[in-house]
Parts: sequence; structure tokens; C-alpha cells
Amino acid sequence: MSARRPAGRWRGSSEFRLRFALIVLAMVISVFGVRLVQLQGLDPKAYAAKADAEGLVTVPLPATRGSITDRNGVALAESVSGLMIVADPKRTDEHAEEIARILANKLDLDYFDLLSRLRKNPAKPDARFAYVARRIPATDAKAAVAAIDDAGFKGIDTRLDPVRDYPGGDVAANLVGFMKVPDEAGTGGGLERSFDGLLAGKDGSETYEVGGGNRIPLGENTEVKPVDGKNLTLTIDRDVQWYAQRVLRTAVQGARAESGAAIALDSRTGEILALADYPSYDANKPGAASKDDLGSRALSDVYEPGSVEKVLTMSGLLDKGLVTPRTRVRVPHQLPVADRVIHDYFDHDNLRLTLAGVIAKSSNIGTVLAARQYQPGQLWHYLDLFGLGHRTDVGMPGETRGLLPDPSTWTELTQATASFGQGVSVNALQMATAINTVANGGELISPSLIKGEARTSSGDEVGTDVASRHRVISQSAAEKVSKMMEMVTTEGAGTAPAAGIAGYRVAGKTGTAQQVGATCGCYDGSLAVSFAGFAPADNPRFTVYVVIQKPQGSASGGGTAGPVFRKILTYLLQKYAVPPTGTKPARLPVEW
Amino acid sequence: MSSLVSQARARAPRFAEAAVERARLSLVPVRRTRPPRAPFAVLVFAILGAGVVGLLMFNTHMQQASFYATRLQQQADDLTARQQALDMDLERLRAPQRLAEAGKELGMVAPGVPAFVRLSDGSVVGTPTPASPDDAVRIDPLPPGLGALQRKPIIVRVPATDPVATIQPVTSADPAQTTQQTTQQTTQQTTQQTTQQTGHRKHKSGRGTGR
Repeated sequence: MSARRPAGRWRGSSEFRLRFALIVLAMVISVFGVRLVQLQGLDPKAYAAKADAEGLVTVPLPATRGSITDRNGVALAESVSGLMIVADPKRTDEHAEEIARILANKLDLDYFDLLSRLRKNPAKPDARFAYVARRIPATDAKAAVAAIDDAGFKGIDTRLDPVRDYPGGDVAANLVGFMKVPDEAGTGGGLERSFDGLLAGKDGSETYEVGGGNRIPLGENTEVKPVDGKNLTLTIDRDVQWYAQRVLRTAVQGARAESGAAIALDSRTGEILALADYPSYDANKPGAASKDDLGSRALSDVYEPGSVEKVLTMSGLLDKGLVTPRTRVRVPHQLPVADRVIHDYFDHDNLRLTLAGVIAKSSNIGTVLAARQYQPGQLWHYLDLFGLGHRTDVGMPGETRGLLPDPSTWTELTQATASFGQGVSVNALQMATAINTVANGGELISPSLIKGEARTSSGDEVGTDVASRHRVISQSAAEKVSKMMEMVTTEGAGTAPAAGIAGYRVAGKTGTAQQVGATCGCYDGSLAVSFAGFAPADNPRFTVYVVIQKPQGSASGGGTAGPVFRKILTYLLQKYAVPPTGTKPARLPVEW
Repeated sequence: MSSLVSQARARAPRFAEAAVERARLSLVPVRRTRPPRAPFAVLVFAILGAGVVGLLMFNTHMQQASFYATRLQQQADDLTARQQALDMDLERLRAPQRLAEAGKELGMVAPGVPAFVRLSDGSVVGTPTPASPDDAVRIDPLPPGLGALQRKPIIVRVPATDPVATIQPVTSADPAQTTQQTTQQTTQQTTQQTTQQTGHRKHKSGRGTGR
């Protein structure tokens, strides 16, 4: 007991201790109080922001853009994680040559361009940020930056920058479109544009505390998850598309033509297997191409279809039961209609052709005479049903409607020229759809480019699931027309034996149409040569339509577009293993 | 009571006083025995220490896990990027254009007429036809024509070449010299024009093949 006494004496009396503690507590609490007022009362926002900046990091979580694939899942456009390489010119200026050399070697970039980016910009000497290279695949970018680090140079960094890759280059480029490469986001036409809302997804972001470059566990953490874009599957078959593009390019260049389009449809479903345009461009380098070549001419260009349209005229006549393929027509060497005179493309004396012969020989006069069987308005009605003057609405931006003159404005001359495909304007896909109606037994199927169903940015539902069908002509009429078209590719009877495929029954029709010039509004001597058809004729699987615009020199539907048709069709029949049907080819009399 | 007891005591014979005195029960002072303090303090400090150490270890472990997670995430990102890069390479190798070029190297062309062998009975369907060089499709783009290399023609507006018109401003000079000068000028102008024209023509033809 006695040992504790001295300690108690040192502490003093309890009263003294209590007072002392109270004073200390009061002092501490008032310090806290003042601080509290300072933090919360005076400028709470600035302090909150300061606290956020301290160790809190917000990183964007970019949504992955959906890919565009062909019908077999092969990517036509895909997003891969990429990086941009950025520099701080203040720090890289000193070693610009060495850094540029490493980057130029590793990434295959232009040395002198890199040099100017790594050096201080005389106009902005204080700039501490410069793009060095953009959209570099992540592995390549990291390897290059690591090499620079190893060499001991500072001032180079990377940031997220997704890469949009088009593995096929120009394959389906006119359909798929491209992403704008210059600095900011944006899409440049095609499906990339019309389905941007679907493909883009929604970026997210994440905020968390870091210490020494690592996340602090149990630290503050908020995350908005990104919503990745949806994938888009096309009905296109990449291999067919590639082949069609190459065949078309060869033909267009060979004919020294201005442009061309080739379309392959699945006759039974209306799915577009290939839609080739020429000139085309490399979707990875859209900047190098002319602006006019970026869209799809098959959808945006209107032209007069010419003789291919005779098929539609005959279909209507046969559907109404006004004629048969054996109906005899006396074809004079010229035919005055109103104030004009209609000629055939070949000189002839009076011919005695059957209606099958009119198609096989592609006689304008014969068609005009046959079309006189129509009641007023009936031809217009059929052309309207065949989809002329209506957009196909496959989901591509910038599709033209074409032009089918209003029936109230039709004169005798309009009726006559429209019957053989002049005075009406179409786009290539409209014409392909119309011909496919004959292949599909008289029922028009709206063509589709999208497999399944997808909503465009403008809110239209498109795709194979929402494809519409309506009957245009009867089954028997379609069969008759098909037989008449078979005569076109028959050796010795038709205008395009070169379009036939040995062993197969191929139905086709040539077209050589005069075109209206852009400036004068009259026929300026330029042509559009085309060929449409399908095979096997008695059980059609594929419909192919080819049009070549403004060829120079001698060109014809059969001679210029016919071989393109045959090659694409041959490829399709072989790829999809469609054997010949083995039935007897049609034998209709062409003359009498 | 106490008086009774004391009376009895008083009355009792007093023998062996000393022994009795020794044997007398007396009230023992309450002894407050305190348990030893040391073990308890040790226990408390031990618990406290264990708690602190445990917390520290837990925290360190969490940090370690976080480092590990960051590293793994990085690795996963790297591997994903690598896979994508390899996929891209694969896609390029599988591209129809490359395959066609490889086929062309071997002298192959697309068949002109499709024909099939039916496996069930070995019969041939279609008309087998040997492929010919005519079936070949040009798969490479044409080389850019001269037009792509040549500059656009620079059109220079040449002043009137009528000699009389050009003579007039220099009437003060020696007439012979002036005529000579003018003719020279005119010839120069004409040659210039012709070169421009040929240049233009070349350019056009170049573009033609370029398509």
C-alpha cells in the first residue's frame, strides 16, 4: 500500500485531474469544430473535389462495337482492342530520331511523319500531348513502347483506342461501310451507319481508388458497366461476294466502263448472297478512295433497265392469259409510235417471230406489239407489283426509289417504251428482285441483306424474318416466262448463248439500254448493258443480275454482262453443290 | 447477552489461562487476495496484438491479392489482345484473295462448268469440262496507269497569238528585231500548247487503263 502513495501524489488530486482532462478535451473538440466548419461550411465542394482527385481514378470502359459477319460467321468488320501511341513532345524532342526509328521499324510507319509528331511543334511549343499513331493492335503497340522503354527514352505512352478491322479489305466494303479514321468517332456509310445504334453499344466507366498504380481493395469503387454492341449477321456469302467483285471488276475494266454492279440472290428466300459494286475501295483505307465510290451503286444509282424489263411485260401478258409463248407476231423493220419511230437493235426485214422468239431475239418492236394487248393501266399495275418505284428497304442508307411514271401521265409512247424498259428507272437490286419473282414461281420476295431481324437507326425492322411475299403472276405464267428466257441462252436461238452453262438449264435475258445523260436530260449515247437470269430454270436456286454502266466501244448485254453472269452463277452452283436437274431443256419455236 | 457471557466467563474457573488465551477464536481480518495482474495484462495484450497483427496480415493479404489481380488482369488483357492479333493474322491468311493468289501461283483457275461425282454410285453429274486459261478471272487490281503518276495538266492562258496585235505595243523598237521576237514568242507559245495537249492526251489514256 505504501508503495502507491508517491504515484498518487504525482498525479495530484482527482479534482485537478478532472479539470485538466476537461480543458484538454475542450481544446481538441474546438479544434475539430473549427475544422468542421471550415470543411463543411466555407467551401465544401472544392474540398470534396480535392479529395476525389487524391487517389481516385475514373477510367472509361469502352463498349466493344459489334462485329458484322457474313452468313457463315466470317467477320467482315470486327473490333479488336487497340491502342493509340501518344507522346509528350517536351520529353521526346531530344531523342526524336531514335524514337521515330524504333516506331518506324516496329509499326511500319512513316519515319518523317513520326519525326514531326515527336518534335516540338513550333506553333505550339508548350504542347505536352501529341498523337503519334492511332488504332494500333494492342500487342504491336505494347511491344513498340516496351522497346522504347528498354532503350531508355521517356515521354511515350499508350491509351485505349479500339481498332475497327475489315479483314476482307474491299470485300463487301460498299455494303459494310467503314468507320471514320480521323480523330473522333463517326461512321462512314453503309451498314456501319444505318445500324450504328445497334452496333455501337454504350460506353461505361469505373471510378476507384488507387495507390501505387494498384487498386485499393475495399476502397471507394463505382462502376457503370459498358453495354457491348450487338453483332450483325448478313446474308452475304463472303467467298461469293469476293468472286463476284473480282469477276465484275475484270469485266468493267475490260469494257472500259464507268461502273458496274452484280447481285446474286437465293431464289427461294430472297437472301442476297452477293452484292458487288465496282469501283470499290479498301474499307481499311477509306480516305484513299473517291467519295463517289464509298456507297453502293447497286442501290443508289438509277438507270433505265432496257430489255431485261421485257420479261416483266411478258409476265403480265401471260398472267392475264392474253398471249402464249407461241403467239405469232409479225415484226416490221420499224414501228412508228406517236411521233417517234421504234427500231430494233439489229437491222432486219419483216420477221415472223413467236413471243418466245421476241424474248430470245430481244425485239423491241415485237414487245411493243405484244404490249398492245394490255388494257390501259395494266402494264403499270404489273410493274408496280414487280416492285418498280418502291425501295427494297434492305437496310442500306441512300437507296433510291427509282422512277415509275404515274399512270395518269402515261401516253401511247410511254406504254410502248416502258414495255421494253425505257422511260422507267430502277436500281439494280429492284431489277434483280423483279426477275427473282419469275424464278420464285411468280411470288415476289422482298430481298434481305440481314439474317434474322435487326432495327436500323431510323427505326425500320429489316431482315430475313420480316421479308414480305406477295404474288405478282401465276405459277404457270412464271413457268412459261422461264421457258421463254431459257431460249435466250440456247445456242442458235437466243442473243446470249455465252451465258449458258453446259449441262444446266439457264434462263436469262439480256439488256442494252440507252441512258439519260446527267447534263442534257436526253439519251446521250451512253449505255447500260445488263444480264439477268437464274438456274436451274426448272427449279431455280440462284438469281443473278449484272449491270455494267457506260461501257466504251462495242458492248452488249449478252457479250459484256453475260459472261459475268455465267461465271458468278457457275461459282454458286458449284459452291452450293447444285447438280443439273437432268430434265430436257425447253424447246420453243422462235420463228414461224 | 454480552453481560451474561461475561458473567459466565467471570464465573468460570480460570485454568490454563495462557492456553485458552492462545486458543481463543478471534475475528480474522478480511484478506483481500487479488488475482495476479500480470497474466491478464499479457492476455489482453496478446489478444490486442493478435488482432492488430491479424488485421495487418489480412490487409497485406488483400493488397497482395489486389496486386495479383491487377497482374492477372493485365495478363488477361495482353493475352486477349494477342489472341485478337493472331485471329487477325489467321483471317488474313484465310482471306479469299490470298487463297486465290496462292491458287494462281499453282496455275489454278475456277472451273468453267460445274460437275459433280455422286458418291453413292460413283456416277458423274453435269458435264465435266477441263478448265482453260479463258476461265481465269483477274484477281489483282490493274496497276495504276500513267494517269495516277502524271500531274494534272497546268493550263496556261496564252495571250492572243496574232502577230499584229503583239507588234503594236513595241512600235518604238527596231522593226526587224520586233518581228523576230514576236515570231519567236509565237513559236514558243505554240510548242507550249502542243506539249500541254500531248500531256493531256497521255493523261487521259493513262486514266483509261487505270480503270
